[in-house]
Amino acid sequence: MEPSRQQSGARLSTFGVELEVHIASLRRYARALLRNRSDAEDLVQEALTRAVARADTFKAGTNLRAWLFTILHNVHVNQVRSKASRPDEVDVDSVESKLVTPARQEERVELREMMRALDDLPEEQRKVLLLVALEGLKYEEVAETLGVPIGTVMSRLSRAREAVRAKLANEGSVALRRVK
Amino acid sequence: MNAHCVTDDELHAYVDGQLAPERRLFVERWLADDPDAARRAEDYRAQAALLHELFDPVLREPASGPVEELTGKLRGRMPGNDNAAPWHARSWVRMAAAIMLIVGGAGGGWLGRGAVDQSPVVQQRQTLQTFAEEATQAHRFYTSDERFQVELGADNQDELNSWLSKRVGRDVFGPDLGKVGLRLIGGRSLPTELGAGAQYMYVNEANKRVTLFVGAPRSGNQAKFGFSQNGDVSTIYWVEGPLAYALAGRMSKEDLLRVAEAVYNDVKAGPRRPEPQQNENQNQQPPQDQQPQQQQEQQPGGVQPISDTHKPKDS
Repeated sequence: MEPSRQQSGARLSTFGVELEVHIASLRRYARALLRNRSDAEDLVQEALTRAVARADTFKAGTNLRAWLFTILHNVHVNQVRSKASRPDEVDVDSVESKLVTPARQEERVELREMMRALDDLPEEQRKVLLLVALEGLKYEEVAETLGVPIGTVMSRLSRAREAVRAKLANEGSVALRRVK
Repeated sequence: MNAHCVTDDELHAYVDGQLAPERRLFVERWLADDPDAARRAEDYRAQAALLHELFDPVLREPASGPVEELTGKLRGRMPGNDNAAPWHARSWVRMAAAIMLIVGGAGGGWLGRGAVDQSPVVQQRQTLQTFAEEATQAHRFYTSDERFQVELGADNQDELNSWLSKRVGRDVFGPDLGKVGLRLIGGRSLPTELGAGAQYMYVNEANKRVTLFVGAPRSGNQAKFGFSQNGDVSTIYWVEGPLAYALAGRMSKEDLLRVAEAVYNDVKAGPRRPEPQQNENQNQQPPQDQQPQQQQEQQPGGVQPISDTHKPKDS
């Protein structure tokens, strides 16, 4: 008995907006995770391809966002695995040089330090921090997406935040001194 | 009593807006007594703000062709998607998506705001946030007592629009929100940090009120849109052309977003031609799908002529 649902036929489908929101969220997350624009779009593209193929496995009324993020996560895990078997493809320098975040933004010390602190996190912690603090996923959704217990989510989140905090506190002041 | 039994998990949940409401007070009391914990919460919020500042620009970038295409395909495939509505408002949809994904204040409130950082981008955003905050307060104030809700009624909309346009110093008008079940009842002019603002008040069948606040920001404001939640009042704000809009109502972000979409589309279509009869609220909607984009530029009346729009085009 939800009036807003019933009326939606006359307007832009709320489902469409919802889907759009989640896909924008996937794109932002992928970029934050991979940094590189084309790699991030590729990851989202592959995830969506898989989502289209499996659309019938999604049950209406269940959590669309968690479903999409889970697919993206699985695709990413597979990509990392297949890249690991061909180590010569991972060229850190080339990835570094293709950073797409506008230079203007990185000029600010704290943004640069945040970026660096994020890089220094183990990937499992980085994922949790991004999913929670950037994408606003509920802890249960993060647990579902990553396939880990919620207690694990909480401890990774806590460790990630403390590690970033320590980095920003230390390096921030060092960098500031250097700038002056 | 339980204030000292706050766990680490609860501190995170507090920062992330995922704390059970009944624990909120305990955590806040604890934070008031424990400066270290308060600083941690503040730092965690600052981290989130930095992450948003770093990666929110992605939301404004168009998706790649294949991603757009797959989005359309997925939209058609998913169960529960009963409505294959014409996807006519791409720019709106992108904006709506961004509004949904950008955190207004840290933790969804005004708490902790201002302590984060003061980059120019943030300062600009704060000007717009201040505008939104004023809109929220004005909403709260003028919906509290029906007797003073409007300065001038909407019986004569032309009069209302031209009066408010004079106050704001730009052409403003109260959009037609009949599509989302809202009827314009009038407006008032209010002072804001951006100069005089116009508040339009709408009401629905259930006597619920929504206000649209319109103001003229100083030029060069890059911050485009945002969302804030202050108590039970949600506010969506954005800049479109020379005007800033803040839409406030006591409803969920999703419901308010639907109203914002109607405002956005009606503003894009431009003011209605002055037509004397206006009580058939159902019939005066423009046809939905055949609305050419450039119509706003050819609007016969209501839009101020701009003298020097002939920019040299490089060929």
